[in-house]
Amino acid sequence: MKRTWFLLSVVLGVVAAACTSSKGANPQSASPGGASSAQSASSGEVVNITLWHGYEAPAPGGPPNYEAISLKNLIDTFNATHPTIQVRDVFCCSNDFALQKLTVALQGDKQPDIAYEYGSSMPQLATTPKVVDLTQRVNDPSYAWDDFFPGERAVTTVDGKVLGIPALVDNLAIVYNQTLFDKVGLSYPSSDWTWDEFRAAAKALTVPAAKQFGWSFPADASEDTVWHYDAMLWEAGGDILTSDNKKAAFDSPAGLEALTALQEMAVTDKAVFVDLQNSGKADTLFNSGKIGMMVTGPWALPSYPDVKYGVQIMPSFPGGNHQTIAGPDNWVLFDNGPARVDAAWTFMKWFTAPEQVLADSLACGHLPTRASVGSMPGFASFGTKYPGVGAFVANLSNVLKARPQISTYPKISTAMGQAIVSVLLGQASPQEALSKAAQEVDTTLSIP
Amino acid sequence: MQAIRRALSSETVSGWAFVLPSFALIALFGLIPIGWALLLSLQKSNLISPETPFVGLANYRALAHDPLFRETLGHMLIYTGLFVPISIVAALGVAVALNRSVWFIRLYRTAFFVPVVASTIATSIMFLWLFDKNFGLANFLLGKVGLGPFGFFDSPSNGALYSIVAVTVWGWIGFDVIIYLAALQGIPRELLEAAEIDGAGRWSTFRNVTVPLLGPATMLLIVWSSINAFQLFDEVYFITKGGPLNHTLVPVLYLFQLAFQQGIAGYAAAIAYVLFFFILLLTVVQFWVGNRVVHYSS
Amino acid sequence: MSVDVAIARDGGLDAELAEPGRRLRLPFSPWHLVLFPLAVIMLTPLLWMLVTSLETFAETQHFPPILIPHSLHWQNYPDALRAAPFGRWFLNTTIVTTIVVASNLLLCSLAGYAFARIKFFGREAVFMLIIATLMIPFQVIMIPTFLIVKRLGLLDSIGALMVPNLANAFGIFMLRQFFRTLPVELEEAARMDGASRLGVLFKIVLPLSGPALATLAVILFMWTWNDFLWPLIAIINNQDAVTLQLGLTQFQGAHTTQWNLLMAGNVMSMIPMLVLFFAAQRYFVRGIATTGLKG
Repeated sequence: MKRTWFLLSVVLGVVAAACTSSKGANPQSASPGGASSAQSASSGEVVNITLWHGYEAPAPGGPPNYEAISLKNLIDTFNATHPTIQVRDVFCCSNDFALQKLTVALQGDKQPDIAYEYGSSMPQLATTPKVVDLTQRVNDPSYAWDDFFPGERAVTTVDGKVLGIPALVDNLAIVYNQTLFDKVGLSYPSSDWTWDEFRAAAKALTVPAAKQFGWSFPADASEDTVWHYDAMLWEAGGDILTSDNKKAAFDSPAGLEALTALQEMAVTDKAVFVDLQNSGKADTLFNSGKIGMMVTGPWALPSYPDVKYGVQIMPSFPGGNHQTIAGPDNWVLFDNGPARVDAAWTFMKWFTAPEQVLADSLACGHLPTRASVGSMPGFASFGTKYPGVGAFVANLSNVLKARPQISTYPKISTAMGQAIVSVLLGQASPQEALSKAAQEVDTTLSIP
Repeated sequence: MQAIRRALSSETVSGWAFVLPSFALIALFGLIPIGWALLLSLQKSNLISPETPFVGLANYRALAHDPLFRETLGHMLIYTGLFVPISIVAALGVAVALNRSVWFIRLYRTAFFVPVVASTIATSIMFLWLFDKNFGLANFLLGKVGLGPFGFFDSPSNGALYSIVAVTVWGWIGFDVIIYLAALQGIPRELLEAAEIDGAGRWSTFRNVTVPLLGPATMLLIVWSSINAFQLFDEVYFITKGGPLNHTLVPVLYLFQLAFQQGIAGYAAAIAYVLFFFILLLTVVQFWVGNRVVHYSS
Repeated sequence: MSVDVAIARDGGLDAELAEPGRRLRLPFSPWHLVLFPLAVIMLTPLLWMLVTSLETFAETQHFPPILIPHSLHWQNYPDALRAAPFGRWFLNTTIVTTIVVASNLLLCSLAGYAFARIKFFGREAVFMLIIATLMIPFQVIMIPTFLIVKRLGLLDSIGALMVPNLANAFGIFMLRQFFRTLPVELEEAARMDGASRLGVLFKIVLPLSGPALATLAVILFMWTWNDFLWPLIAIINNQDAVTLQLGLTQFQGAHTTQWNLLMAGNVMSMIPMLVLFFAAQRYFVRGIATTGLKG
């Protein structure tokens, strides 16, 4: 009995201590978002803003996280030179959870001032008035909005309104294992190579006895599956939707050509590692010399420490081009009162100016989000510092189209994803799969 | 009058006094949120936009015509039908085996607890290798005895689901084991000894004395395992992501995708409520059967 | 008629080890043949995590995985500790877990006892309501829970991690089941002797419930210690309130997961739970009640 009372008092004591101490220690976080906390930006008063990102803290031992270091350095520089605005960066979570965490925060009016969000989240984010409409601000001539690549700008825009600033741009290209190419006597791909040549290479690189595959394709029917296919679709001259976004357009001859190419390589040649779980296994297999080619982006290069790799742009279909697809992510600003919005914009404007974009690219190998950066004198060392990444930078000029930024896109993605995977598994013919998916998409789009 | 009398009796007062703190907390953090979710299921919402029009039962009606939802229910039933009996029977066997005092028994028991404690992310990655079609240890060992190779998570039909059953049984059996171990301590030794004196064999004692006395614990585990099996999420999310081609798509994963990837949260809430209804129904049935079959204190 | 109640506490499972001459026990029992292989199978995740935690990042990028690393890269452990405020995370997690476990042991005992023994008005309905809260997935109710916690002013503090979990529906269900297996005559006898309900609970029921309470404590400890989703959304900006599992997600980067450090962190995180479990077995004490009727 005595023990229980003792236990109870300990419990109460610690609860009291914990609640008060954690509240007291963090006046910043205890302040609610929303207009009520708007501080007047009179001179001398500091406006504090928070920025959420997914760059994990730099850790010794593994590959140093230059992205996080670069971000931190830039923010520190800004804070030092702008005493009236102090930016605090907060590691929100792995980017896969970013939208979830933000959703909950928005519900409770606890959103940050700036957050890093996937480009695919934009249509959903567009439905809340708490996201700041940046259209006026970016169109100010001094900002040079057109300096950002068209594919990026398309992803920041929903229904004509600019709701984000490009944070990261990438694209898909072919990363190939030069050692494996040497082993089978293949010459390295040239920049005008075709899908037929790709198919031949994949076949040559497939060694069933060694469980070695020509290339890998993410087959979890997620957007990862779809965007890989999209690049091929566009190269064949096709489109995802009609230009008014009212009907499916991928069940065209171009779409068929692209999907048939996949079917031939996966089902007929059995040259594709069909990655049904898509949990990183393919990257480790490539690094272990079990896969000849990967269709991937610059983010994956640090995962291949053991491979002598080369990078080449996507092959083309007969009469087509070498288009690729980009997956831009955005910085989104939130309305926590006019003073904080102004402060956040001031920071964002500085942060995404060409000089800072250059600094960031050089520091961590990010592809420059602005086209002008590629020709700045300081950029010359980028190619030597980041071998392989240079090819991705050049490939940015092949990013001509973007995926539709409409709120129903996730359903479209699901339909297409299922179609692609069913073909890869040999369970449907390309024609059947595309027709079925197109039907589903048309139904979805017809709902007002 | 009688009812009010009964209601105000000291039994009721003391009963409520004991229960109130817990019930208040659970009502606040459990029942109210569930009510909120019910409201959400009657709206069209993506959890981000402030506009959430009331659509009545539209979400539920759409659910009735959703073939994918029916598929998830099917998967859930298959999974539960395998997971619950297998894990409970196996756990009982293991608990009995661990209920002795040989050397290192504490270590053995702790070993069984390890999978329960390990992070799902870590064990998921491990299983992705273990059950890999080409390079996994499982196919390697099976090959040595002339079996396989099996597709496991790559299997086209229910194979992936069975693999998930294996993964979750392995991951959660320790939990059932420690409950049974605790319950075994409550079996009075005199009863076991009396049975022995009466000439009953080990198995007979087990079947006629131990198992019935473990009734309350078994009841707890059946209800709890079923509730959890119906809400399977983590392993499917981290390992198969519902694939291949939705063959391991279960209701909670489906509603998660709808709410957070497709922005259709009202519909997702409706799924949660239909699921809730099924779980409640099953639990009520289990209690009804249990109250007739389970033998409580001597 | 008075009832003489003697509650003798048997040493339980481990007592047999202490009493000499009880039974001739060979150091090697045939049970090892069964238990050992099963234990090895169960231990594979721990071994896996250990091996991965001792590899370099490059070594983790292999498939099939390298099971015997080149050299044991113990450096990962201090690296992981230095990479992040482990001490703070550990402290937070310990505080939250201790309070949640203590609170539950008290509140679930009270409620579980009432559901088991007290026939009060509305008992079955309330019990069903409590169990019902287990039937909706957390992903569905996390937003309203967030809003309620915010209303209470607890967001972004470890209070948010404690208060919603002070009473656990499973704990109540579990203790109800266990309490009902106890011989009710003991309690009735005590009440006839004038003990209050509370007294019966604390003086008779709980002392006989060592194994159940120990088990519940271990289970709740594990759930709270490993909780990830709720801390993810409840701790917004306050880095001082981050708990262990939440903190470990830092090693899952935007593009590359540092598996070796992540596993090192996970191994370190698992140790307290396993130590607690090992120690808790001391409480697997068989409570045996013998009654004698006098007169």
